[in-house]
Amino acid sequence: MTAGTGPSTTRGSSAATGLGPTHSDPGPPPPRPGSVTSVPSARRVRLRRAVLPWLFLSPALLLFLYFKYLPMAKGINLSFYKVQPFLGDQWVGLDNYTRILDEESFRRAFGHTVVYAVAQTAGAILVGFVLALLLEGRARTLWFVRSAAFLPVVAAVAVVAEVWRLLYFPGQEGMLNSLLSWFGSDAQRFLDDPDQALGWVIVVGIWKNAPYDMMIVLAGLASIDRQLYESAALDGAGLVRRLRHVTLPALRPVVTILLTLAAIRGMRVFTEVYILTGGGPAGSTDVLMTRIYDLGFRANDLGFASACSVVLFLLTLVLTGGVTWYRRRKELS
Amino acid sequence: MRTSRGLSAALAVAGLTVLTACGSGTGSSSGGSSDGSLEVWSRSSPVTGAVYKKIFAEFTEETGVKVEYTPILDNFEQRVAEAATARDLPDIVINDSGMLGTNVSQGLVQEVDRDKLKGSADLLDRAWDQAKAFDGKYYGVPFNVQSFATFIRKDWREKLGLKQPRTWDDLTALAKAFQTKDPDGNGKDDTYGMLVPASTDRGYASWWAASYLWQGGGDFLTESGDGKYVPAVDSPQSVAAARWMQDLFCEEKVVVPGALTLQTKDAHEFFSSGKAGVYMTGPYMVGKYDVDLGKKFEVIASPAGPGGQATLAEGENVYLMAGSKLQEQQRRLAEFLISPKGQKIGLNSTRPEPPVRLSVNKKVDTVAERGGDARWKMFVDEFNAHGRYTPNVPNWQPFRQKSGETLNGLFARCDADPKAELTKLADEFKQELETQKVYGG
Repeated sequence: MTAGTGPSTTRGSSAATGLGPTHSDPGPPPPRPGSVTSVPSARRVRLRRAVLPWLFLSPALLLFLYFKYLPMAKGINLSFYKVQPFLGDQWVGLDNYTRILDEESFRRAFGHTVVYAVAQTAGAILVGFVLALLLEGRARTLWFVRSAAFLPVVAAVAVVAEVWRLLYFPGQEGMLNSLLSWFGSDAQRFLDDPDQALGWVIVVGIWKNAPYDMMIVLAGLASIDRQLYESAALDGAGLVRRLRHVTLPALRPVVTILLTLAAIRGMRVFTEVYILTGGGPAGSTDVLMTRIYDLGFRANDLGFASACSVVLFLLTLVLTGGVTWYRRRKELS
Repeated sequence: MRTSRGLSAALAVAGLTVLTACGSGTGSSSGGSSDGSLEVWSRSSPVTGAVYKKIFAEFTEETGVKVEYTPILDNFEQRVAEAATARDLPDIVINDSGMLGTNVSQGLVQEVDRDKLKGSADLLDRAWDQAKAFDGKYYGVPFNVQSFATFIRKDWREKLGLKQPRTWDDLTALAKAFQTKDPDGNGKDDTYGMLVPASTDRGYASWWAASYLWQGGGDFLTESGDGKYVPAVDSPQSVAAARWMQDLFCEEKVVVPGALTLQTKDAHEFFSSGKAGVYMTGPYMVGKYDVDLGKKFEVIASPAGPGGQATLAEGENVYLMAGSKLQEQQRRLAEFLISPKGQKIGLNSTRPEPPVRLSVNKKVDTVAERGGDARWKMFVDEFNAHGRYTPNVPNWQPFRQKSGETLNGLFARCDADPKAELTKLADEFKQELETQKVYGG
């Protein structure tokens, strides 16, 4: 189950390399002029240089090892077994993985997950961007509005999902339905309709995550040189062209970070879906994590569930790696 | 100097971490706490849990064996699975008889020697069946049984001048009237006919549909002799029953909105808050609705379908979990739970949600314990006359999950053809039977 911790892996390793000895490292002071550096002591200095950072890192690394990497390794290990703790686990090789390909429900859940991740990521960034443009500035009132807009991010997901379940109540007296009835709309079935349910779940995801994206975009906006806007305006660029040729290019690094984070978040979505629909109706909102949960804890098939988690982990790893690689290449060029 | 201090600090922290890592690795691999008390979990609400506590207090007084009890309502199976993976199960788990197959196939429960258990001869033979695994051995002790009945808003029914339903058609007509004729008289179109927990979670849709499937003359599986089974879920009767249920959702439209993602624990409220007027559920709800609705509701035996009367029969077992060091104490608690004394406290009539639904002990008169309440008599009679357990395959859970998903799909997509979908389900059943090595085709 713990295998799906994609982002932490990269975070952990990049932290390690980032703190490792580099050229800019001041290191120990250079030998005083006149003193003769013997060969063994130079080696010792080099050794110490190599070992010391790792020693300082060791507490964190050990914690990571114990709470992250070991459980992950255990999860990967389990994925090759039929897990039955009290009867002895049975080695099944790659059977669990071939089953993933065979299982239609898993393929369907994979499709839903991709749709969810793409739509939620795109929607949240778009809404977050618009919000950021609207709420950029230094005025005190804006600070207040920004904090208010940020609230969905800090609210507990489970609570948010329960509230949305109430809002989405598919009867005429449901809150959203009574709102819609003012505009003469018929009662919507919302989460009861297998063709719409995933869409409504995505709306909740966007509502919840857009303000987070807004904050990051705001930070990006703040770093844009005002003079660029002014000179663009002087050159006769309108609002749209200023957005397109000044704001967006300047935000590119921010957007790539957002994309990575949001896509990973989207792939691993669980709580919202589990509480809103439990994967239903007719399996129309079943995503990878709800499937894994069902397999692991309802069907007690922990080996198979672990295999699914490993696949999810690899997917997030590839996704993260891909975006990082793309970003590096962009930055270099 | 500074370097060496930093170094030793780092080493100290590292050493500590390694120590704790090793320490927790050698933790106890069995349930129970160090003082020899039994660790007991039950799938119950806090209200029911309070009655369990009384039973265990009495047990401790009688035997001196302490009990560390935890009632868990949400994600019970998940908690058990986690405990199993950690090889640290509680000593006793009280949970649905439907979990027997899963528990046995995972080796989570110990075999019970029925003959060596004190008082086992006093238990209903039928109740023992719910603890009997496919191999003919017992892996639990039956603690309670239950049947299901139809709860109706009596005040609504009488206001509309309708009779108690006797057939499926009556039932549909009643639900339709509740839905459309403003039975609560508030001038608003805000009431619904039937309350259905049709979520796929824990296979609820299948659990709800089982009684109706049998009333319609259909079935999930048929025994083909020799303990083997063939799918029956695609028989004409099964298809007709499924179509009738689909019509409740799609044609008659008498089911509460949101039913397709509704679990039982969230469903109960719809009935007591006056949203829905018909609800098929178990005896455990009588007490709660007595508090919420008083005399405004009635409980009747479920109306007969084309195949006659039928209700799902099930119950809860006391499972003696694997890996326990307290074998003797486990057995003694099980004996106490099924004894007349244990059963009577469990039936406690002053509490709304008693842990013992219908007693498994022949020496205990459930109806008398519930103050001669005719509704409890009806549940007992229904269990005896029309109660049916799900087929005794090695593990029922996958069947319940698969049929739940198919039925939920039928109810969700009104253009889905019951015959086609159930034929597909029969195929999945066949595969599952083969996996469990009991296909008799």
